[in-house]
Amino acid sequence: MFMRIRTLGPVAFLGLAGAATLMAQGYPLPSGSISIKFPDDSPVLFSGSMTDQSRATPRGAAMVIDLHLSMLLRNVSGSKQIHGVTLRVVSQEVAVGGKGSVTYPSLHVGPGESFPVRIEMQLMRPTQAVNGPLVEVNLDGVLFQDLSFYGPNRLNSERTMKGEELEARRDREYFKRALAQNGAAGLQSAVLDSLVRQSQRPRLDALVMRGGPSVASGANPAQESTANFAFLKFPDSPITPLDGSAQISGNEARAPRVQVQNNSTKPVKYFELGWLVTDPAGQQYLAASLPATDPGLMLRPSRTAQVMQDTTLRFTRNGQPVKVQGMTGFVSQVEFENGEIWIPSRQNLESDGLLRLLAPSPEEQRLSDLYRRNGINALLEDLKKY
Amino acid sequence: MKHPNRATLALHAGEDLGRFAYWRTSRHLAKCEVCRAEIAAFDAVRGILPELSPIPEVPWNRLAAEMKVNIRLGLAAGDALLREAVPFAWTSAAVAFASVAVVLAAGLALQHASPRMGKAGFQGVELQTTANGGIQVREGNGALGLLDNGAKDVNYTAGAQGSMRAQNVDPETGHVTVTNVYAN
Repeated sequence: MFMRIRTLGPVAFLGLAGAATLMAQGYPLPSGSISIKFPDDSPVLFSGSMTDQSRATPRGAAMVIDLHLSMLLRNVSGSKQIHGVTLRVVSQEVAVGGKGSVTYPSLHVGPGESFPVRIEMQLMRPTQAVNGPLVEVNLDGVLFQDLSFYGPNRLNSERTMKGEELEARRDREYFKRALAQNGAAGLQSAVLDSLVRQSQRPRLDALVMRGGPSVASGANPAQESTANFAFLKFPDSPITPLDGSAQISGNEARAPRVQVQNNSTKPVKYFELGWLVTDPAGQQYLAASLPATDPGLMLRPSRTAQVMQDTTLRFTRNGQPVKVQGMTGFVSQVEFENGEIWIPSRQNLESDGLLRLLAPSPEEQRLSDLYRRNGINALLEDLKKY
Repeated sequence: MKHPNRATLALHAGEDLGRFAYWRTSRHLAKCEVCRAEIAAFDAVRGILPELSPIPEVPWNRLAAEMKVNIRLGLAAGDALLREAVPFAWTSAAVAFASVAVVLAAGLALQHASPRMGKAGFQGVELQTTANGGIQVREGNGALGLLDNGAKDVNYTAGAQGSMRAQNVDPETGHVTVTNVYAN
């Protein structure tokens, strides 16, 4: 009898384990779970899409939905080269007001050419009912080579993609200069420096909380104190940070506030600061971006304005709280009334040691990844193209 | 032509492959310029590694010693269980039933337990990176996440206005992809 039980036990175990695995894999979603809508006069069209790997898995009273969307987009603008595309992803049913976007910067898609895009999403819904589209994907904007823009721009993708395009030109120029000055060996050295810098960049995990009370995790909430920002100032920056502070408690920082002055001769309608935090060991990290809050901002020359964000950020590294010991700010982007954009130069970033703390621009990441995957000749060919 | 994966190429560059795998990969490299370029890139990065400063806070030798001790303890514990199981056959049956019970309990837990959606006591919107590689906006019992397409080098940046950004190179398309989730 014991022998039979000892034989059947593992068999039953395997059978039940298999059943549990099948349950956990979920089931396919009906077609139409993702709605893709582009305007009729859009300069990009999707010439095909696939969502067949999407699945829904019940988890108690809730449902976890994995959506895999692959699309082929085609440039039908007529004569313009596309340098960036932003898609807006909305699921009103899932997170009220919550939305996402997927941007493809550093593109070089000529008229009539196509390019593939992939969007991997995961939704968690409180109910198991699945009726109608779960997610709506639509076009927010297209940026062309001449910096002209098309799109509803509901996510301010015009400004974001223009900034990324200027960073791309700045960083391509940096690599081209390395090539011109020291040949392929110079370029290789520059891109290896970039790869090393990227791998050594100190990183923090941040949790951003809005609309609720602060929940301190790394220290006693009663020990909250006001910490002042120190500022890095670039000589050519159109605006200058004057003073600023945030409420600090252990590994949390909340309610940042910074006052700036327009030192240029042109009105400014948007600006953004970078926010660095320092831990007790003196290690600095990029904590967050700190953008201007007022959508109707118009900062005239020599006038001042204030950034205030009603947000709490909690910082950890490898799962451990990182206590905030100090804070530093710097101007990372300015948009003038006429739509022109200012970004820090490579020299600005290098002189203040910021380059080792900031994420690479999308173009620098693309070029260094191209070198890592395909070698120096592929990088040389790419730099010759544009 | 089927290419070796990047891990194999990296091991080949470091001469860390087994003999047969090394021979097989070398045969492929003799015919494949793309993989040779990949190896050259690994060599270049490896070449500068000695110049990089060591990581002083990781005591590798102590970690290795602790791992060895833990492995020995695990093996000893396994031996002890086997020795005890032979004279008492019913114990094995009980262990098998207990295993089945654990699987059933896990299945029920997966099927019926409410998923953990947020930090206790927090009523607002949260934005963060996720354990499965991506960024997520979460409110109450709902969440919307954008995943990283399997990319390895992802740069995350929080936005104090209530956003989270992830930047990576899509390993399939080669395009840089920047995803954002927003609180409102």
